[in-house]
Amino acid sequence: MTDSRPYNMSLPIVYGGIVNCNFVIKPWICQLLSKILVVLNEKYDRDAFLGCKCVEELVKMGILQLKMLIYSVFEALFEEPQCELKRIQMEDQAPSSSQLVEVNIDVPSTVATVSGSKVCGGAICDFSDSKTNIKDATERSSSMQKLLLAVLLCIIFMAVEVIGGIKANSLAILTDAAHLLSDVAAFAISLFSLWASGWEATPRQSYGFFRIEILGALVSIQLIWLLAGILVYEAILRIINDSGEVNGWLMFTVSAFGLVVNIIMAMMLGHEHGHAHHGGHDDHEHSDHGNSHDHDHDENHHNHHHEHTEEHFHFHGVSVTTHNPLSSEDPKEPLLNHSEAKSVSKATKRNINVHSAYLHVLGDSIQSVGVMVGGAIIWYKPEWKIIDLICTLIFSVIVLATTIKMLRNILEVLMESTPREIDATRLERGLCDLDGVVAIHELHIWAITVGKVLLACHVTITPEANAEYLLDSVIGYIKREYNISHVTIQIERQQ
Amino acid sequence: MADFTVSSEPNGGTGSSFTSAPATQDSFKHRLPDGETQRPWSGRYGIDSGDRRFSFSRNQSFKPHLLRNDSCIGINHPEEEELWEGHGKKEFGGTGNGVRNRSVLYQMASVLLAVRSGNRQVRRLALMISLNVAYSTVELMIGLLTGRVGLVSDSFHLTFGCGLLTFSLFAMTAAHKKPDGIYTYGYKRLEVLAAFTNALFLLFMSFSLAVEALHAFIQDESEHKHYLIVSAVTNLLVNLLGVWFFRNYARVNIAYRKAEDMNCHSICLHVLADSIRSAGLVLASWLLSLGIENAEVLCLGLVSAAVFVVILPLFRATGGVLLQQVPANVPTSAFNKCLRQVTALEDVSEVTRSRFWELVPGRAVGSLSILVKGGGNDHSVLHYVHELYHDLGIQDLTVQTDHV
Repeated sequence: MTDSRPYNMSLPIVYGGIVNCNFVIKPWICQLLSKILVVLNEKYDRDAFLGCKCVEELVKMGILQLKMLIYSVFEALFEEPQCELKRIQMEDQAPSSSQLVEVNIDVPSTVATVSGSKVCGGAICDFSDSKTNIKDATERSSSMQKLLLAVLLCIIFMAVEVIGGIKANSLAILTDAAHLLSDVAAFAISLFSLWASGWEATPRQSYGFFRIEILGALVSIQLIWLLAGILVYEAILRIINDSGEVNGWLMFTVSAFGLVVNIIMAMMLGHEHGHAHHGGHDDHEHSDHGNSHDHDHDENHHNHHHEHTEEHFHFHGVSVTTHNPLSSEDPKEPLLNHSEAKSVSKATKRNINVHSAYLHVLGDSIQSVGVMVGGAIIWYKPEWKIIDLICTLIFSVIVLATTIKMLRNILEVLMESTPREIDATRLERGLCDLDGVVAIHELHIWAITVGKVLLACHVTITPEANAEYLLDSVIGYIKREYNISHVTIQIERQQ
Repeated sequence: MADFTVSSEPNGGTGSSFTSAPATQDSFKHRLPDGETQRPWSGRYGIDSGDRRFSFSRNQSFKPHLLRNDSCIGINHPEEEELWEGHGKKEFGGTGNGVRNRSVLYQMASVLLAVRSGNRQVRRLALMISLNVAYSTVELMIGLLTGRVGLVSDSFHLTFGCGLLTFSLFAMTAAHKKPDGIYTYGYKRLEVLAAFTNALFLLFMSFSLAVEALHAFIQDESEHKHYLIVSAVTNLLVNLLGVWFFRNYARVNIAYRKAEDMNCHSICLHVLADSIRSAGLVLASWLLSLGIENAEVLCLGLVSAAVFVVILPLFRATGGVLLQQVPANVPTSAFNKCLRQVTALEDVSEVTRSRFWELVPGRAVGSLSILVKGGGNDHSVLHYVHELYHDLGIQDLTVQTDHV
């Protein structure tokens, strides 16, 4: 078999050096990039050159995304809270650069009246009430738009690469196109799960189809693992076949092109700001203004921090930021200190399907970087071919390590475990402290998907207590303290 | 603590006594007192594993039952019950929070310990995995030394498969752990997850075989990989041994009654698919030697289609359990009938938010919300509803009674 992929992934010792001195390099990179940004800002500060501004914004976005990619890699690998905070700060910088005025309307939660929420028509009614349905729908449609754009972009690039490869008669480019095909597959899976999770509940699926998101993300991650395994296998094959001359320059160019493509896609998937989105949002605006302003009193602290499920409406310079009320991270606010809480809530807010597609793109860019570096080294010194296998292994391990955290989240949801942010012992103790409650048993808290939590328990009350009042107070307590709205309580009287 | 004794059951005798169980926390759960098993000849029907539906003759899906694993008479597996402590209360806090932080090494050690003292299936699976690992290592060494690509690729394929089987083994041993604070429903779901992963891998394999067939179709003859007959035959033999070990599950459509069923079924199908693949390769080599052109394409295509057809029912069933679908063995009409019966009670005005799902095949959980008129006694209504759904097989039910 002739060499199907003449470029190999190489890891120079330099990367090892980077890994070891990341405490030195990270702030250095940050400073360098922010200097570039400052220069760009100063140069194009006038409003007259709208075209320049567009380009400038794109370049800024690209650099920002590169920074964020690097930080995401470090964050996923080393789980340093500093990385996360830095990344979040960078994400904050981007919207503030557009000079928007933020309007935050604090509407008290209408679900405060508990009795109204208990009754819902029909034996099988929708899992979420109408408010969250609309919010889910907007979030879902925005994520779907992003993914659709990413898929289209991927297909276009793939077509370009296939044509170029056939014209240049180079197998390397063709195999890179095949690699892009795997990207398309991952995006297609994410898109399908996003679309399917909006289906209505049926008698056989009493909770609706929210779980499909989780299963789709699981399949997507399995695909990443499979691809990493295939690449390791190919590297070993190449060592055995000893395929002779390797064209370092071709390796370098093809993988550089791949890296640029991946950065563009990360740009689209990772951040809400897209110049292409303006038209799409103008018509959604008015319907969303009325419905999406539901959030707790804690939100005042959040108004500078945009999470990825929020909508930005660029309408005459006024942007309204909304916040997902079904976040279960809010209960942590009184417990943790500010910065930690913000970073925790932000890190888990991205829609899980978009996040898994983002991980796919991240893995690809890591491998592209590796190939670029390898191509450069082989271009410079063509006899160091044996390093390839080691490098492939190391890069594949890095890619797999970035998926571990998400895999853990998925497994926890699938195993019906208590979500991490809810302390079951505290909840039980808090419930027992209520007047008239004797004991709690059969307490089960589980999540149907990331962010939607359910609770079921049996509460034993004293013989003389008022069952109705106690039911209301229990449900109110749980809703207030832990923000769990889908609750089923069985009241039993002690006799 | 609450201690419920009910003198009469509104639906007539149901065969189980709702007495004051020592674990008083389970007030509305039907549990036999500790130590009692239902069928004297199979120790597998303990309290924990077991399908209690078969004790009620009114059950719609009642069938005279012989578990597929009971190929010999009088098998008693007390070690399964004695291995873990008695059925105590779930512990919140304490060990609950420690579970998340256990190191990998500790878990691996516990797995090894469980394998040594595990039941027959676990031991067989461990034996098979070690056989596969040994075989694939040997193949890899020989392939690297002699430079034959086919052997290396085959050994990689086997290694992937071994990894999956190891996950199944881990699931089998870890599934017996008691529920704790974090995993309030226990660890049985791991088996369903392992089955799903196996099914997914097999789907990927069938897809990659189809791609390989396409590849062989496009390429010309000179570049074909000529498969080594020896390695294919050895692979076939090893996998057939595995199929023999799990022969009780060697069917495409199985009614899943316990959590273990899904896991063992997936393992059997995995091994079966591998053996089909090896058989296909042997067949292709033989046909090629006979001079039939495109034999490879045909055989690979056939194998890919066969594996896909075989694995699809398992994939759908495990997917259904993971997607929180309504228990598969209860027809929708039964649910409607129960709903109507509850609504027909004189105190009840409406039933809302009835949701059911299956934790593992054999253990269904549900929640219901009932609107009750006036300030009546909820207790009889609660008891009636619990009994009703218990007959369907839904043991864990939470009923919320809202007063209008």
